[in-house]
Amino acid sequence: MHDTEQTHPLHVPRRLQQPVQLGAQQAEQFAATFERLAAAVDTVVLGKQEVVRLALTAMFAEGHILLEDVPGTGKTTLARAIAAAVSGQWRRIQFTPDLLPSDVSGVTIFNQASGAFEFHPGPVFANIVIADEINRASPKTQSALLEVMEEGRVTVDGHPHQVPQPFLVVATQNPVEMDGTYRLPEAQLDRFLVKLSVGYPVEAAEIEVLRGTHQRSPEHLPAVVDTDTVAQMADLAKQVYIAEPLYAYLVQLANATRNHPQVAVGVSPRGLIALTKAASVFALSQGRTYIVPEDVKALAGPVFAHRIQLAPDAAMRGANGAAVVADAFDQVPVPLPASAA
Amino acid sequence: MRRTRYRLRVAAVAAALTLMCALAGAVAARVYHGQLLTLLVAGAALGAFAIGFALRNRPAFLAPSVSATGLAAYLLGAIALTADGTEPLGTVIVDALVNAVPRTLTALIPVEPAPDTVIVPVFLTWLAATLACEFAIRYGRTLLGCLPPTLLYGAGLYLVGPNAAAGTLWAIAYCVLAALALAVTAAPPERRPDRDAKVDGAAPSRTPALMGAVVTTTVLLAAVAVLGPAVARLVTASPGDPREYVEPPQLTDIDLNPLVRIAEWAKYPEQELFRADTSADAWMRLAVLTEYDGTTWQASGDFRTAGTVIPGSGEATYTADVEIIELGGKLVPAAADPTAVTDLPIAVNLHTRCLLTPDGLATGSAFSVDSALVQVDAAAAESARPDLGDGATVVVPPGTPEVMATIADYIRTEFDTPYERAQGLADFLAEHYAFDAEAPSGHDLPALGFFLGDPIALGGQRGTSEHFAASYAVIARLVGLPSRVVVGFDVPAGASTVTASQGMAWPEIAFDGVGWVRFDPLPAAGSVPSPPEDTLEKLEEETPSEEEESGGGGEAEDYNDEALEQDADFAEEAAAEDDALPRWVWYAAAALVLACVPLVLKARRALRRRRRLSRGSPAERVAGAWAEVLAAAARAGVKVPGHLNAEEAAARLASLEADIGALPRLVNAAAFAPEAVSESDAKAATAIASGYAKRIRHQVKRWKRLIL
Repeated sequence: MHDTEQTHPLHVPRRLQQPVQLGAQQAEQFAATFERLAAAVDTVVLGKQEVVRLALTAMFAEGHILLEDVPGTGKTTLARAIAAAVSGQWRRIQFTPDLLPSDVSGVTIFNQASGAFEFHPGPVFANIVIADEINRASPKTQSALLEVMEEGRVTVDGHPHQVPQPFLVVATQNPVEMDGTYRLPEAQLDRFLVKLSVGYPVEAAEIEVLRGTHQRSPEHLPAVVDTDTVAQMADLAKQVYIAEPLYAYLVQLANATRNHPQVAVGVSPRGLIALTKAASVFALSQGRTYIVPEDVKALAGPVFAHRIQLAPDAAMRGANGAAVVADAFDQVPVPLPASAA
Repeated sequence: MRRTRYRLRVAAVAAALTLMCALAGAVAARVYHGQLLTLLVAGAALGAFAIGFALRNRPAFLAPSVSATGLAAYLLGAIALTADGTEPLGTVIVDALVNAVPRTLTALIPVEPAPDTVIVPVFLTWLAATLACEFAIRYGRTLLGCLPPTLLYGAGLYLVGPNAAAGTLWAIAYCVLAALALAVTAAPPERRPDRDAKVDGAAPSRTPALMGAVVTTTVLLAAVAVLGPAVARLVTASPGDPREYVEPPQLTDIDLNPLVRIAEWAKYPEQELFRADTSADAWMRLAVLTEYDGTTWQASGDFRTAGTVIPGSGEATYTADVEIIELGGKLVPAAADPTAVTDLPIAVNLHTRCLLTPDGLATGSAFSVDSALVQVDAAAAESARPDLGDGATVVVPPGTPEVMATIADYIRTEFDTPYERAQGLADFLAEHYAFDAEAPSGHDLPALGFFLGDPIALGGQRGTSEHFAASYAVIARLVGLPSRVVVGFDVPAGASTVTASQGMAWPEIAFDGVGWVRFDPLPAAGSVPSPPEDTLEKLEEETPSEEEESGGGGEAEDYNDEALEQDADFAEEAAAEDDALPRWVWYAAAALVLACVPLVLKARRALRRRRRLSRGSPAERVAGAWAEVLAAAARAGVKVPGHLNAEEAAARLASLEADIGALPRLVNAAAFAPEAVSESDAKAATAIASGYAKRIRHQVKRWKRLIL
């Protein structure tokens, strides 16, 4: 029955027909797996539970992660820990100014023995791709990621090549040292579901880091889930129920960023979809089968802030996307019953 | 079910508005004779509304055209019904259409239902009903629908002017009907803009709207109770009357000052004035004179044109068929109080209820007058106090002769009660003065002083009824009794010719609760008057000297003071009794209504709380519990802005130090996944909300506890 519905050309997703279709048991299983995975990553990345959970949320929402912070805060460690915790194929690309697009996507080489051109996949053909210091590569090379991040395939010499699923790009960049770097274009930024900042650990966590420097390494992290499980969990997240008032709430939030006086370009519909997907995973990670405004608020900053292009004068005055998002939340009423005016 | 309720609601609005239109139209009918106009306007309201209601779902252009046709037919019917048939119907219709407005505004009161006087009220009623139906039924704007009948009501009041009672019950009935129509169509909670109403969800309750209507009505009633008497006093003090723009009948000198005719009548007693065929022995009044300026006695108030029926009179108990012989002027003889006059155009002085014919009396003109004879309760008058309600009846012009003050002192000294003083004054004049038909006419103060004080040898102390009545009235006022002078005739029962010898003037005194009482100061026929000086000198001898007065206070002075105080008491009590209800009653009623407001608010809140926590699905009850918690917190001064989500709201409420437990999680579920909310969740939420208000009660300000 379920298959029939899915293959019908006029199929209406079941979540539009029935408010809540996910069972509580499924949600609890999701939450438990999510928590196991997060706990595993937490053993390597100490004191960053929130960032870890946001990163995992992005992974299950089939989005990509941009980690931006000063050097040495654990960006790459986090990316490697996530890759290690998922027993899939992962690759790391160290972006440098001389890196070519073919170094990322792969090349077609003539095989003299077979007398035919053969495609040699690049490092992007993995379940988890760590694009370290992505802003050091030239825009041309950065753009090589556009297609694969959006569509999950690479086109070389006119031939499309599917990357393995699930596919997750975890990119890192350093916001301080800008010499010899190329700022990611808006289109590229929009491809990342979340932009996270790891930040310095708290004192206790940092002491703990020092104490076990040699013991905690992503290489030693056993895989907690496999890629099939990740794919199943991502599918499960698509069934999370979203109440009608929340759709309007989300759109009003996006409009609030678009109409904000300090903003030149507000949140795109792709950003809105990304927030919806992320909120769905976030709700499920807490054992809930439906989204609530708290989920939206928890994720709006990481999902929206990097997509907002500030007006030049606002940028000069030090405004930032996070503040714009906070303003938007202050303007839009939550669709709760009986909120006092 | 929903359709049935809708139809019932529409039908209720239609019925209320139809009755409002009929009521508003019938307001004007109070100055019309009979009930015909009431029936006509009621029919117009019903007909117009029936047409509008029947065509409510048809194209909008259809209703006005059909309604106009119906109006034309109805007006034709009304004209045919009220026409007397003496002229062709076409002529009557044209005449009525051309002259309807001016004749309606200036018609004699009570207005006879005639073609030209019924067209305007019927037309306006039909128009108001049509508009009300269009606004309220077709377009669903009930408040706007109330406007046309309200304007009609106002127009009716303007037409009535001061010629009918205030009609408080009419106004109350009208307001009740309007409130009913508005309450029936009050917006259901889900359509109201406040988000509080969304709690009701799919099963809205009409209770808030009804309670709102009740509270609003209560406040309005309180305002009416407080402001009503003052406003009503203002309104009744200067009511607009369209007839005031009509020039009143002009009086000739002989009518302005009819007392001068007494001397002429006394000189020629054989003169035949009119023939009368009456049903009883009665005094027929020609004029009532209340204002005295020291020179002439004059009637107060204007004459208004009237129809055959005199408004405001009781049932006729006396009839008189009159045929004029030599009686001139415009004043019409009639027994008090006239109720109807036939065969003579009449204007009536609403103040004194005297009659006047604008064209003047002519020899040979015959008419009949019906009257409701005024019966004076002599026993009640003896113990009654003077009626000081009309200030004009106690005004004494300056320069009264000393003899008048002396007589007034004598009367005050000799008699105690008002009635005794009135009768004593009449007896005093009758005993000490003589009737003389030859006495020169005149009733100004010097003439009255001559009549009262000059020696007989010089022609004083004798006079006609003019002198007796005028002197009596002035001295009565000096004593503190409200007085007036009436000119009229003593007409016996049956057919007779009234001659000038029957014409006379007499004084009347107003007693509270009794009315005007006639006194006769004329001496009995054949009696020999004793000089008044003897009696008055005796009084002076009994009066203490000035030394005695300054020493211990003379009895006469004390008595006079006491008498004055008594008169003042009379005046105060008479003024107080003017108001049907004492002012404190109004204030007490207003205070009571205001005291009820907190109770009503509390009852409304209790009902809302009950509805929120016990009605609807589990999700709705959880949402209701959330609403209750937020409302309680708002009363305690912690308001939750609309942009905060449930967890943030809970953090905000934490300052009240009253735990709301899992309520944020539950309300999220209720709002965004209602099916996930179980019965136990609803009970848990209800339990949290039930105790929350009590837990934070000590943080709510006292005045809020009282009214919220």
